[in-house]
Amino acid sequence: MNHDPYVWGRPDDAVYGAYNHAIANASSHGNVQEETSFPKMNSQQPIITGTSVNSIKFKDGVIVAADNMGSYGSLLRFNNIERIFKVGKETVVGVSGDISDFQQIQRLLDELEITEEIYDNDGGHNLRAPNVHEYLTRVLYNRRSKMDPLWNAVVVAGFNDDKTPFLRYVDLLGVTYGLSAICTGFGAHLAIPLLRQLVPDDKDYQNVTEEQAREAIINCMKVLFYRDARSSDKFTLVTLKQGQPPKFEKDLRCENQNWRFAKDLVGYGSTQL
Amino acid sequence: MSSIGTGYDLSVSTYSPDGRLFQVEYAAKAAENAGLAIGLKCADGIVLAVEKIVQSKLLVKGANRRIMSLDNHVGMVSSGLLADGRHLAKRAREEAQSYRDQYGAPMTMKALIERVAMYEHAYTCYGSVRPFGISTILAGVDKTGPSLYVVEPSGSYYGYRASAVGKGKQLAKTELEKLDLSSITVKQGVMEVARIAHLVHDDNKDGNFELEMTWIGPETKGFHEHVPSQLLQEAEEAAKRALEEAMEED
Amino acid sequence: MFRNNYDNDSITYSPTGRLFQVEYALEAIKQGSAAVGIASKTHVVLVALKRNAEELGSYQKKLIKIDDHMGIALAGLAPDARVLSNYLRKQAMNLKMVFNRPILTQRAVLQIADKAQENTQLYGSRPYGVGLLVAGYDETGAHLYEFQPSGLVLEYYGAAIGARSQAARTYLERTLEEVREVTDVESLIVHGLNALRDTLAQDVELTLRNTSVAVVGKDTSFKIYEDDEVTQWLEKLDLVSNARSRDDGADGDEETAEGDAPQPENPDADAGAAADADDTRMETDE
Repeated sequence: MNHDPYVWGRPDDAVYGAYNHAIANASSHGNVQEETSFPKMNSQQPIITGTSVNSIKFKDGVIVAADNMGSYGSLLRFNNIERIFKVGKETVVGVSGDISDFQQIQRLLDELEITEEIYDNDGGHNLRAPNVHEYLTRVLYNRRSKMDPLWNAVVVAGFNDDKTPFLRYVDLLGVTYGLSAICTGFGAHLAIPLLRQLVPDDKDYQNVTEEQAREAIINCMKVLFYRDARSSDKFTLVTLKQGQPPKFEKDLRCENQNWRFAKDLVGYGSTQL
Repeated sequence: MSSIGTGYDLSVSTYSPDGRLFQVEYAAKAAENAGLAIGLKCADGIVLAVEKIVQSKLLVKGANRRIMSLDNHVGMVSSGLLADGRHLAKRAREEAQSYRDQYGAPMTMKALIERVAMYEHAYTCYGSVRPFGISTILAGVDKTGPSLYVVEPSGSYYGYRASAVGKGKQLAKTELEKLDLSSITVKQGVMEVARIAHLVHDDNKDGNFELEMTWIGPETKGFHEHVPSQLLQEAEEAAKRALEEAMEED
Repeated sequence: MFRNNYDNDSITYSPTGRLFQVEYALEAIKQGSAAVGIASKTHVVLVALKRNAEELGSYQKKLIKIDDHMGIALAGLAPDARVLSNYLRKQAMNLKMVFNRPILTQRAVLQIADKAQENTQLYGSRPYGVGLLVAGYDETGAHLYEFQPSGLVLEYYGAAIGARSQAARTYLERTLEEVREVTDVESLIVHGLNALRDTLAQDVELTLRNTSVAVVGKDTSFKIYEDDEVTQWLEKLDLVSNARSRDDGADGDEETAEGDAPQPENPDADAGAAADADDTRMETDE
């Protein structure tokens, strides 16, 4: 066995031939010479990332929460990123994944808000959550079809035309679904089971109170902070209630943390047994 | 007019022997006799108003808006060929959007009016287009505070504290000059503009009219919005009362 | 050959600031047969008079569906209307795809207005030669708009375009209060047909062959009714009021009967009869 850690997990030169380092230049668009020798390459991975967005419907509204971390690989690079923002009067969008792509989405939706709500508006209310979601679906699917995705998973929360709560997901592949509890990223594995206890069936959100939903989401944020190494304990929580503007609570903290179990952790970064 | 029949007034790319561009002057004529529009820069915002002659009682009341928003913080109204006004607004909106895109901030009024005027001017340069048949008031509130401009078909523009375009603009301007423009608030502005619109309008000659009014001020948090119907109604009633009182004095 | 130096194209202003070519385009609307639209608080009705160029020919289509919630009536150059209706359909479908909701009637009609304006400011293109009535029902309610080739769009409670449409407008103005209170679609249609009938030449009647009706509104998708389907409303027309409203409605033009009217020189026009020169024609002399 080769004991140099550098080669572990890499394709064996003996099998695949020497690694072609020129591929690192493959994304230089416009350079004809290089483009002829390599395929065009777009983003292959996100750079600065935001982790899970967690959300759940309740009787007459929706709660969405996301932490404020922006990670650069495993480096916790930024701790002040607001990943939930308002679109129109009663809709919020929560974004996980690449932060610069998220900022692009934010610009698109800000522009959309002006074209739809400001131009030639006779007092009608035009932009609602289903419209915002459909628009984002078109944007994300078109980008993925160009093999140049916006590297995000997005949760759109708001209200349907009939005032019932609206909660729907769309991601970098253009995949979309609606549920009473939606979490992206790590949350899809760790938080969903907790939230499903409140809404075992999709229609059960009608029996959930705001307090129950809020408690469940805050609990999820804490569990995720324990388990997700790309998360922070500082987060933003948004409550949407019928007929009210979205309520943003910023700089919330995971309370009553208990790290006594940490001494029993074994492996990476801790004392080796 | 001496220009008629000389052949020097048929294209915007032809000067007359004494150096005039008649097609641009004719375009300004289109703007002169259309419904009056008033713009007022106040201490804390701006007010825009337009007089809409009711051509038919079949028209839907309160619909057919004439004052347009170009961005959150900018309003525009023009007098003349209405469709040309929409064309110009479309371009101005594109400018405001692209500025937002590039600089991540709302466009300043100074930058916007420059671009809008440039665009209008381009339509006076070529024989393949015609100049805009509109006089336009642009007003907005940006980081430098409230501002108001008027653009003519020639592409020239000036900043104003208050101005009027369209039919009766002279009388309206005379009235605007009497106001204390350095301290007036938008709320007072709404009342004054309504009064002036009713004063200038001649019911016997021009028929009935509807008054449409928008503003930007503390009440709208920097957004360009229609004046609430209740306030507009109050302003119009006060305007009519003031007119009646003035009549009695005469 | 021209009336004056200023009416050769749509990019030359007259010394008084008018655009004659655009005004002439408005005249093209009057070459077409009449169309009438009425809006109640919940519904909009379009009715139109179809012409056939010759006895054995089919009747010209006057109503076009745009989407489930929107449709148009046309008067003037029918092919121009088809260009505009294709554009409207495209816009409606695109908006449905992007936002998952029906396009607002106002937005749609402003889009064709902006498109029409372009043709009035560029050398080498002519303004559209067709007027439209656009009827729609959306989340802001029932709306009726009149579109003109100048790029002007106005919203009306009731509107009429095409040959002798002034007579229909007179009827609509007279019955406006009554019509605004109408709650059933049938009365709305009958009012529309009454107005349409006032535009007819003297020995022409509304028949199931020459009458088109369309309805859109609350819980009602845009639907066009033709031939046998319109009989139900034609029977409701009051024969006595027919003669009366004709007397005070028509503006006393010398009309030729539609059947033996001279054929239009322009085969594109959906017109079959001579236009009423005096209708509301604009003054074209300085």
